[in-house]
Amino acid sequence: MGNFFPRWTNWLPLKLAIAVVFIAFGVSVGIAYYFTPKYTRVGYEPTQPVPFSHKIHAGQLALDCRYCHSFGETSSHSNVPTNQTCFNCHGPGKGNIRSNSPKLEMVIKANETGKSIPWVKVHKAPDYVYFNHSAHLNRGISCVNCHGKITEMEVVRHDQPQSMGWCLDCHRNPEKNLRPLEFVTKLDYKAGDLKRADFYKALLDKKVPVGEIATTIAGAGAKAENLEQVLALAEKTYGKDVTQTEVGTQIKKHWQIQPPESCTACHR
Amino acid sequence: MKKIWKHPEEPQNAKRYWRSVAELDRREDFLKNLGREFPEGDTLNEEERENSRREFLKIMGASVGMMGLASCRRPLVNILPYTQHVEWMVPGKSLLYATSMPQSGGAVPLVVTTHEGRPTHLAGNPLHPLGGGIHSFAQASVLDLYDPERSQKPMGAGKELSWAKANDLLASAVAEAKKTSGASLGIVVGDSTSPTYQRLLAEVKTAYPQAKLFQYEAVGGEGQAAANKAVFGAGVKPFVKLGSATRILSLDCDFLGVDPVAGEPISAFTKHRAKEVKTADMNRLYVLENRYTLTGGMADHRKPLAASLIPVAAALIAAQLGDSSAKALADTAPAGLKEWIAPAVRDLIDNKGKAVVLAGSRYGAEVHALVASINSALGAYDSTIELLQAAPAPELGTFADLQAAIAGGQVKTLVSLTTASLYYDAPDAAALAKLVSDKGVNLIHVGTQKNVTARQAALHIPAAHYLETWGDLRAADGTYSIVQPMIAPLYDGASNVEILLALLGRKKLGPAEAAAPAAAGAAPAAPAQDAAYTAVRDTFAVVAGSLDESKWNFTVRDGFLKGSAYAKATAAPNVAAAAEFVAKAKPAAAPSDDAPEVVLVADSSVYDGRYANNAWLQEAPDPVTKLTWENAAWIGSVTFRRLGLKEGQLVKITVGETAIEIPAIEAPGHVSNSITLTLGYGQTGVGVVGSGRGVNAYALRKQPGTFVLSGAKIEVLPTIAELGITQDQNTMEGRALYREGTLDTFNKDVAFAQKTGMDGHIPENISFYKGQVGVKSEENPDGFDYEKQHQWGMSIDLSKCIGCTACIVACQSENNIPVVGKDQVRKGRVMQWIRMDRYFAVAKWGKNEVEQESTWAEDNPTPEQLENAEMVHQPLACQQCESAPCETVCPVNATVHTPDGLNAMAYNRCIGTRYCANNCPYTARRFNWFDYNKRNPLIDTTVLGMKVGNLYAGPLGEKREDESLRLQRNPNVTVRMRGVIEKCTYCVQRLESAKILQKQVQRDTKNFRVPTDTVKTACQQSCPAEAIVFGDLADPKSAIVKAKASPRDYQLLKYIGTRPRTSYLARLRNPNKNMPGAENIAVWSNNQY
Repeated sequence: MGNFFPRWTNWLPLKLAIAVVFIAFGVSVGIAYYFTPKYTRVGYEPTQPVPFSHKIHAGQLALDCRYCHSFGETSSHSNVPTNQTCFNCHGPGKGNIRSNSPKLEMVIKANETGKSIPWVKVHKAPDYVYFNHSAHLNRGISCVNCHGKITEMEVVRHDQPQSMGWCLDCHRNPEKNLRPLEFVTKLDYKAGDLKRADFYKALLDKKVPVGEIATTIAGAGAKAENLEQVLALAEKTYGKDVTQTEVGTQIKKHWQIQPPESCTACHR
Repeated sequence: MKKIWKHPEEPQNAKRYWRSVAELDRREDFLKNLGREFPEGDTLNEEERENSRREFLKIMGASVGMMGLASCRRPLVNILPYTQHVEWMVPGKSLLYATSMPQSGGAVPLVVTTHEGRPTHLAGNPLHPLGGGIHSFAQASVLDLYDPERSQKPMGAGKELSWAKANDLLASAVAEAKKTSGASLGIVVGDSTSPTYQRLLAEVKTAYPQAKLFQYEAVGGEGQAAANKAVFGAGVKPFVKLGSATRILSLDCDFLGVDPVAGEPISAFTKHRAKEVKTADMNRLYVLENRYTLTGGMADHRKPLAASLIPVAAALIAAQLGDSSAKALADTAPAGLKEWIAPAVRDLIDNKGKAVVLAGSRYGAEVHALVASINSALGAYDSTIELLQAAPAPELGTFADLQAAIAGGQVKTLVSLTTASLYYDAPDAAALAKLVSDKGVNLIHVGTQKNVTARQAALHIPAAHYLETWGDLRAADGTYSIVQPMIAPLYDGASNVEILLALLGRKKLGPAEAAAPAAAGAAPAAPAQDAAYTAVRDTFAVVAGSLDESKWNFTVRDGFLKGSAYAKATAAPNVAAAAEFVAKAKPAAAPSDDAPEVVLVADSSVYDGRYANNAWLQEAPDPVTKLTWENAAWIGSVTFRRLGLKEGQLVKITVGETAIEIPAIEAPGHVSNSITLTLGYGQTGVGVVGSGRGVNAYALRKQPGTFVLSGAKIEVLPTIAELGITQDQNTMEGRALYREGTLDTFNKDVAFAQKTGMDGHIPENISFYKGQVGVKSEENPDGFDYEKQHQWGMSIDLSKCIGCTACIVACQSENNIPVVGKDQVRKGRVMQWIRMDRYFAVAKWGKNEVEQESTWAEDNPTPEQLENAEMVHQPLACQQCESAPCETVCPVNATVHTPDGLNAMAYNRCIGTRYCANNCPYTARRFNWFDYNKRNPLIDTTVLGMKVGNLYAGPLGEKREDESLRLQRNPNVTVRMRGVIEKCTYCVQRLESAKILQKQVQRDTKNFRVPTDTVKTACQQSCPAEAIVFGDLADPKSAIVKAKASPRDYQLLKYIGTRPRTSYLARLRNPNKNMPGAENIAVWSNNQY
């Protein structure tokens, strides 16, 4: 009998095995990326029935988010405004701004007929997820953390994956995102822009013991007796500019931020 | 090898608690199912399993393919905001409104939770003077609002009419009445306390002076009304102060159940049942009744007594108190009754001024006259009974007057405004229907159901639900309470006030003419245009003295007008008038083997039949028999066994000419030769929920005002019916589940309950959830910070729990729990998260009580002992074990523990292995065998010409399209799908929203703890007895910490080490040493082994 198989087939099983490893790896990576909200959700940018521009209103005109989404701080749901809110500026007899613009046609029509404008939902949590806006906005989490820089978007775009893993990332390490309450709707806030003295003075004004601030900065054993010593300690630890870790750890400690990680926090 | 846990053996000589006669007899079917979490029939045999595996693979293969296609597109979801702001409306937050529900003789003050304009859940109004918990009827009434089979269109002789046609018909009747100044007009009203209604009724009487007014309620107390009027005077209402009475004797008055008395709420009574320190001060309840009621279950002394002999018992008591007129009747007393009554009355006399005797409202005038004389002799008036003077109401004729008026041809147009259904529940209803058609009477019926009266009436007008209309009521103490609409009428129904306005020509019925813009959830049309609203405001102006806007606004906000209770009556009760009634009383004969009595009582699920189409109530088990979806004849053990009956066997009961066939059930604690039938069943045409369920017991009643029918015949039929009884389902094996003791036992050792069973010998259960961050200990090895969390816990006081089903229904309403239908109930698939375990007990029975070797089988109690069985209730839901057996067996971590001590359930993770249910020692977990929410379990579908239950038809079955039922759902709770386990979560949605609300307040501070006792679970809120305490164990000021510190606190199955967060407080009874059989009462299983 001659050789049935040519020589090169000797290596075939090994080659196949290696190929399978690569293919399996590729498929896993592909699924891990393309089948998860990172890919399926981020970038979703549906056309809205009314060409409302967040970039103009919230960006250029710097309207506060809460002017329209007025109940985010009191309710689970951050509401989409009624026509009356639009008409505060655009309405006849009120601001009258561009009230004859064709872009406003649908808003005016909705007001006449009483039929709601069918806005297209961009950020949709599944039915079994009970997200609550007020729990986050009142505790130092900003709009930008979940929705991205809306102020720079002409049409709202899904900016973050909003998957369960993504939620838990922040619930486990909230200090990466916490900020003082007055900056919650300032989407371009950076920790570096804060004045260190103001930040710590605000904490002391809230009757936070100065010793605790010091231990939060530099661990057990660190001591400080007044604002100056705290500032010196912070500069030594974090450098010249205020950092997010610095702000986040202080807020987490002194506001007693303990984000729930149990199922019942979101599933009921 | 598999380890099988053996519960420690319990000595046999003590009192034992048993769930049913099947358990007592150790029947085979009971034992077979004892160890299973679901009865047999749920598991597949080998062949089926093989088949279903193949099916599964086929379907899975197909659906994976489909999934690929379906997931290509992201579904488009719209957000539809309001176009105009709605006052007070914050999307995503619920709004609370105060209102009241009408009930016979009073009002149930309520707080309604609404979500975006939809009322979803009811609770008692804590601000109201008579506020507190509410009964299950009130709790379930929100479902009636959304009943898809409610009457929606006017009908004429069974055919649908347009509103225009209905208005024309009504207008012609009004025109006719105007011509003759109402000579041919008759109006039947229910027992309503609405001042506006009364005022308009008086106006109708003025407008049509010849019109005749009648009052009719299906389960009304005509005898009581007559006696009260003669003794106290017109318009005087007795108000029982249950909280001030330390000795109560009830003559078949189920004041804790379906026969409420006008008086203080139940919690005033239960408050005096719970003691934490040694005391002699506890109230005492004596009960004489023929069957077990909730009141009988709470009694310290109870004697089963035939209902025919209740007048004799009343006479005996009166005679002992020196009422000479009662002597003749008292002398007919049977043997043994006097021996029981004498020491009881002695006790009442010893507590003069603090004692009260109550009689069931269904008894005749002579009983109520005797009771008035008794109460007068006991000095009850002005101490335990207050006499209140109500405004004079228009004179109303009785049902007998109505019959006479129709027969005499004086009434040609009859308007029925009563909630009763004349052609169904009236005495001799068939004869009445015939009379009405023979005499050519034009019946105009107003009601919410398309029942037999609605279908046969010349004109039927759909009534509005009380959550849809403006109205007002007087509570039992006279407090002026508001009824306000939560939602615009779903089907344009008219309230009684509006019908009267229509009769007066001030209102046109039906949909509003100028259609308001149909914005979703928009507020109802401006109330100023509503005629009923104007009428109520006019009445308010009279009641409050003036139409003070600020007073009106406070009234609408609080639900009642402060300080508007009735004034005290000035005249003293005229006891002499009572003697007349007594003299007229016929001597009652005790029922015998040949001539048993039939007792008709209101049902705890459908009351008098008005709640027949309410699925929650139909599925809520009867508190005593645990029967669902129908009624049955309750027969005492002696008679039951003498007749050789089997559970569910049909019997033919004949009274006079009429006979009904009904399944029989053995009822421990029921007197012999007496048959109890609950009313309200056997209706037709009311809808898929209520039609054709049970048997109509009204058929036996021929005379108005009689509920005790003597001289019945009973015949055993061969058929055995299948009944949906939940008593043997979800049973727990275990020892010392229920603990009780007498006040004496308690005074000797306050902590007796903590030593019952083997609890005295096992180490104390220390909470896992203690310790501070970083402080490591054996209990807290990770040094987790448990004290910086809320630690939820619950305590249920068995001394207070009366065993009604309000908590079950409240839980169903709050947590979107589906109903499953009778078929599924029989299979043990009831979904209710709370079950009310009912145990019977007989103390020390058998040949030799100390003989340790005696076994159940050969040492059964005699039927006579069963007749005197005691009954206790124990509500049971998930115990939230800290060391939960269910959690360790879940393969997918769908049930896990939260840092605040809840045993959490993530429905979307559950894959339905049911391991957890199998491993739960309390059998508190429920499994969704079908998609009960998507498919109506109550109907049958035809598949390939075969009739099958809708659930079993799979995708061929009918999908549920009852939009209206969906409106009732609580948006904060997931609606569960098929194949997942569910269970009590301590209303986690309420806990989470309370914590979030606190975060809104907390903002940048440390104060994270929810204010003490501000969050309540749905069951706790609904409990009329205030038996449930819930709160934060880590908050030392909270009520739960105090409750758990009680010496009566014990944990269920403590010895298995599950460390439940829910614990119970042992029940106390307060027997009178001088009573016969006192030594046997609550002989707690004093085995400390």
